[in-house]
Amino acid sequence: MTTTTIDLQALVQPDRVHKRVYTDPAIFELEMDRVFGQAWLYVGHKSQVPNVGDYFTTRLGRESVVMVRHTDGEVNVLYNRCPHKGAKIVPDGSGSAGKFLRCLYHGWTFKCDGSLLSVPLRSGYEDTALDLKSPAYSVRKVARVASHRGFVFASLSEDGPELSEFLGGVATSLDNFCDRAPEGEVEVAGGVQRVIQRNNWKIFFENLHDTIHAVATHESSWRAAKEEYEAMPAGTPKPFEVVIVDGNGEPLEFWANLELKGYDHGHGFMEGIFVPPTDPVSLAYVASLEASQGAQRADEILRVNRHNTIVYPSCSPHTSFQQIRVIRPLSVDRTLVEIFSFRLKGAPEATFQRTLKYTNIVNSPSSNVMPDDLEAYNRVQEGLASDGGDWVSMHRAAGRDQPLPGGRASNGNSEMPARNMFRTWAAYMGVQAGGAE
Amino acid sequence: MNFNDWQEQQEITQFLHHEARLLDEHRWDEWQRLFTPDGLYWVPLVHGQTDHLNHASLFCEDALLRSMRARRLEQARAYSQQPPTRTVHVLGNISLESRSETGVVVRSTFLLLEWRKTEQRSFGGSVLHTLQREGRGFRIQMKRVDLINCDAAHEALQVFM
Ligand code: FES
Ligand SMILES: [Fe+2]
Repeated sequence: MTTTTIDLQALVQPDRVHKRVYTDPAIFELEMDRVFGQAWLYVGHKSQVPNVGDYFTTRLGRESVVMVRHTDGEVNVLYNRCPHKGAKIVPDGSGSAGKFLRCLYHGWTFKCDGSLLSVPLRSGYEDTALDLKSPAYSVRKVARVASHRGFVFASLSEDGPELSEFLGGVATSLDNFCDRAPEGEVEVAGGVQRVIQRNNWKIFFENLHDTIHAVATHESSWRAAKEEYEAMPAGTPKPFEVVIVDGNGEPLEFWANLELKGYDHGHGFMEGIFVPPTDPVSLAYVASLEASQGAQRADEILRVNRHNTIVYPSCSPHTSFQQIRVIRPLSVDRTLVEIFSFRLKGAPEATFQRTLKYTNIVNSPSSNVMPDDLEAYNRVQEGLASDGGDWVSMHRAAGRDQPLPGGRASNGNSEMPARNMFRTWAAYMGVQAGGAE
Repeated sequence: MNFNDWQEQQEITQFLHHEARLLDEHRWDEWQRLFTPDGLYWVPLVHGQTDHLNHASLFCEDALLRSMRARRLEQARAYSQQPPTRTVHVLGNISLESRSETGVVVRSTFLLLEWRKTEQRSFGGSVLHTLQREGRGFRIQMKRVDLINCDAAHEALQVFM
């Protein structure tokens, strides 16, 4: 690896970045150390491990980890590695380990906080240099774990801001996600979808708030949805399926009017693009929220209408349709996106069924919308490999941001979110933040 | 349960071969007309999935969604269909699960080769067709496609399987 020869500083400017940050495998390795090794990363939701011994495995950067519920009720995040000879202790996926974790290889067992419980042939270790009491023979915990309203985050680094400081202004999206439940809590349900993308992970993040691509990239799906609706008898209420697909066809002025917020640490959110629907399913849901929270509070909650939120660099919650997309870089040009759906506790069953409809239609591998995004990302990735040019532009509406406590705001078709993420990226990577606008 | 007679087996086999051919030739309109008005096209996300309403799926498409997908695939600016996906289905092991007054449930296995741009993918699994008798032919009330790798991470799945 030629990491020492990379002049990162030369690759990041306030309003443009060099193509190598998307294409150089050595930079990808550095990102795993410096971005994913420092930031708070989304691990999962506590409802995925409701009982003692329940586990859920995932990856944080390059690291295989397991989120597991301990006898004291705490949710721990451990490296999935046996301290004996290194075997992954828990199989990939989710399930129950019982009351303790038992390694398949030589049967060492650990409590669900990682501490060593017993080893076979303990006498064999007497008078050897191996000290079973040493923490070196416990399953290592990741450096820091914290949660916000049931959403569990971990950091692989001892140092850095607290989770609440890290989340800053986007904590309100996670709050609204839960507040929308009549019982104030959500739970993961309905299975997880997984999509492989042939692009650098940053291209996906930048697209999340790239409003103006929608009308161009998604022409095939919004036209299909509009045609579908036109073929229905006049006066037919617009079906939910049509609403969530034809929304991408709004003209550029529409997107300009949606405010974008960017926060420190690369986060941000985009205002909701859908008027809250008035179909019977939606009305029954609103009634259930009003019944538990009162009409005034329910109105306050539903007024917070957001499209994608970015929790940089690991996930994107969609608060009004209750999903979280978790973004896992696999290599410089391969990214895995996992889509988790959530049930609003106390809401009618039909509300969750609508969530799954959104998951199926918009986010799944067979989405009617996303293939054209994937094609765009892929063409960017392939185009950046060429000698046709060196720089990627992020100039749109540069220098016009409005200050905001802990961040900045812009109109809806500004490239502020991309510049905001690169400012953070540069800081993690240890170079002067591009984006001193 | 076995097929009753050669004639019944022949009709059903030919129906399934015809359906596969419509898909491989992108004859979406004719394919959609094979379904009953409330017919469902379903590709579960997990092995043994029993619920398509309270669990996510790979595809879960009624007449509206099937029609929307077919329209999308035909759009000039369906960038992810430049070039279009090509497929070929190979069907086998066609067997009768059950028979009633009004129709039959048929299980078959399939191998699907798919080509687009630079890569050939292969999918395989079993299909459960719930067919309603209509005159001398059939219409599809449910087509359930169980991929052996349903729960894998997939790249985009654009065409009907
Ligand atoms: S590797 Fe785990 S007990 Fe030996
Ligand atoms: Fe898009």
